[in-house]
Amino acid sequence: MRDPNAIDFWRGFALITIFINHIPGNTFERYTFSQYGISDAAELFVFLAGWSIGIATRGRDGVPEPPLKSVVRLLNRTVEVYRAQLVVMLLALAIIAGAALLLDNPLILEWHNAGGFFADPIQSVCGMALLTYQLGYFNILPLYVLLIGVAPVFVLVGRFSLLAALTLSGGLYLASLVFEWNVPSWPGEGDWYFDPLCWQLLLVLGFVLQRWNGRSDVLRRWARRLFPAGIVIVVAGIVLAVTEIRPDPMLVPEPRLLFTFEKTYLTPARLVHFLGVLLAFAPVYALLAPRIGRIVGFLTQLGRNSLAVFSMGSILSLVGQLVRFQTGGGLLIDMLVAGSGLIGLGFTAWFVEWRTRSKTPRPRP
Amino acid sequence: MSAARSCPFLRASILAALILATSPSLPRAEQPADPGAGEPSLSQECRVPGAQLYTAAKLGAVRAALAEKRPIKLLAIGGSAAPGASASYPAKLEAALERALPKVDVVIDHRGLPGEIASGAAERLRTMVVEAEPDLVVWQVGTHDAIARVDAEAFENSLSEAVAWIRSHGIDVVLVDPIYTASMAADADYNRIVDAVRTVATQQQVPLVRRYEALHYLSSRTDRGEGHILGRQFRLNDLGLRCMAEHVALTIVTSLGRTETPTEPKVAPASPPLTGTQRAPG
Repeated sequence: MRDPNAIDFWRGFALITIFINHIPGNTFERYTFSQYGISDAAELFVFLAGWSIGIATRGRDGVPEPPLKSVVRLLNRTVEVYRAQLVVMLLALAIIAGAALLLDNPLILEWHNAGGFFADPIQSVCGMALLTYQLGYFNILPLYVLLIGVAPVFVLVGRFSLLAALTLSGGLYLASLVFEWNVPSWPGEGDWYFDPLCWQLLLVLGFVLQRWNGRSDVLRRWARRLFPAGIVIVVAGIVLAVTEIRPDPMLVPEPRLLFTFEKTYLTPARLVHFLGVLLAFAPVYALLAPRIGRIVGFLTQLGRNSLAVFSMGSILSLVGQLVRFQTGGGLLIDMLVAGSGLIGLGFTAWFVEWRTRSKTPRPRP
Repeated sequence: MSAARSCPFLRASILAALILATSPSLPRAEQPADPGAGEPSLSQECRVPGAQLYTAAKLGAVRAALAEKRPIKLLAIGGSAAPGASASYPAKLEAALERALPKVDVVIDHRGLPGEIASGAAERLRTMVVEAEPDLVVWQVGTHDAIARVDAEAFENSLSEAVAWIRSHGIDVVLVDPIYTASMAADADYNRIVDAVRTVATQQQVPLVRRYEALHYLSSRTDRGEGHILGRQFRLNDLGLRCMAEHVALTIVTSLGRTETPTEPKVAPASPPLTGTQRAPG
């Protein structure tokens, strides 16, 4: 078991934020940082996934593992995430269908784009396997599958030159913005909610920055120097979010995706804001860790088991939405939903670690 | 938990009721008015008195497109955009519109919009509008926010802002309020969302298809709406979609009729017709 560290801590933090934000309309939504900036927890989650790839494809001594081993490792992870996505989708559809039956309410079937599945199961089940059929609020795992699936390309290029990997990634990102490339949804019109061609940049950025961070002190020195810039960006983000000022997508010059705030395309404004958040909050963990040990312990445990916790979080937030629907919501219900959700996430992380422990032949000291 | 509490034994899935409403055995005398009179474009099973069906308002952009004799680009938003069973809605809408507006070509782009208007979906709508560059947006709105128990005021503000934004770019909007289903009829939040859509339509002076009222009217014409929801739901979807397409087409055509004479004073500032039947059925 890894000791508590900043990466797992922030990952746990992002997981809780995503859980709360996936119960729209609930009381605690307005207390999450996502409401006070241009970027949100999704950026943090994908960036940290890239950072973790940097750590995972290298031994403890800092020596990179053989390239083929990295490729197989990432392939293994892709399979794990794909499997999680299928299980989560099936459970979500079953929960939606079950709730519609139990509550005798056909409207629930149309929720989160699930109506397409029940109306057109033949196409939708293919779309589900192909990841092109996604439920609302269940779009991050398909992105994750694709990103980790293509990560070996960037990891291998990064072996020769990290700058080349970043350039390749940045080029794809810019081209996708300019030409509005995205992966289509099917069945149904439209495109993926998270455009993988754009979001891959964040994963590669996480990976490359982790490597640079490990190689020398330069990155850390620059991060410290740029700390004030991070604060300025965070404050600007708060002002823009609170005043709801954003560019009008109809009025911005072409190519318009360079100027808007759209989450789907991880537009430059979101990216810059996220980097600002990173600069401003990177030092926070070192300050917090000694003071709030228990919370750090809880969050890092979530972060260590992010796939299981994320999957369970998606399911729990859907159940939370249904509970809010059936009871009518309100502060008490929201406290109950959020509280039992957090306990559920904590239990999931504990359970996964317990299972891993009990599988090992000898008990650990 | 309390499965049956909020939905007593009125299992009438609206659409179930719809099909039954077509049954020839039903006495036509039940109808309070002759709904066919002013609405010849509606098929018999979809006929609803005009006052319970729509409120009209001007559609300047569509009128301009007609004047320039170019195809009308229509962006239909909401509902399931999947092919198969539900794919028929855009096709039906196109057919209904082209029947009502002979010699006019209508091009329809249909997009689903999962998520809540009050938290995020309104932003995605803007993207869709920018991409589609339509003359007219026909927007089925409110259901997701109602199910998510979004605060009705927050919903109203977001919707109002989004409609104002679309109109500020010279694009017309027709709103379609949430569907009627017996299981939600007594739900206060749901009715507040339906009311909020109407309020926004009035304030922003955009036509409104009063789907809730219309489907309630159609379903109230029979009490034989009992049944297993799933089986009925999907068999009946087709008729429900056809009625909705016809209702939308009629609203557009009526609204266009009021737009073509700009000199006529105060024809339809959209507010007077709204004061009609605004009760929440129980």
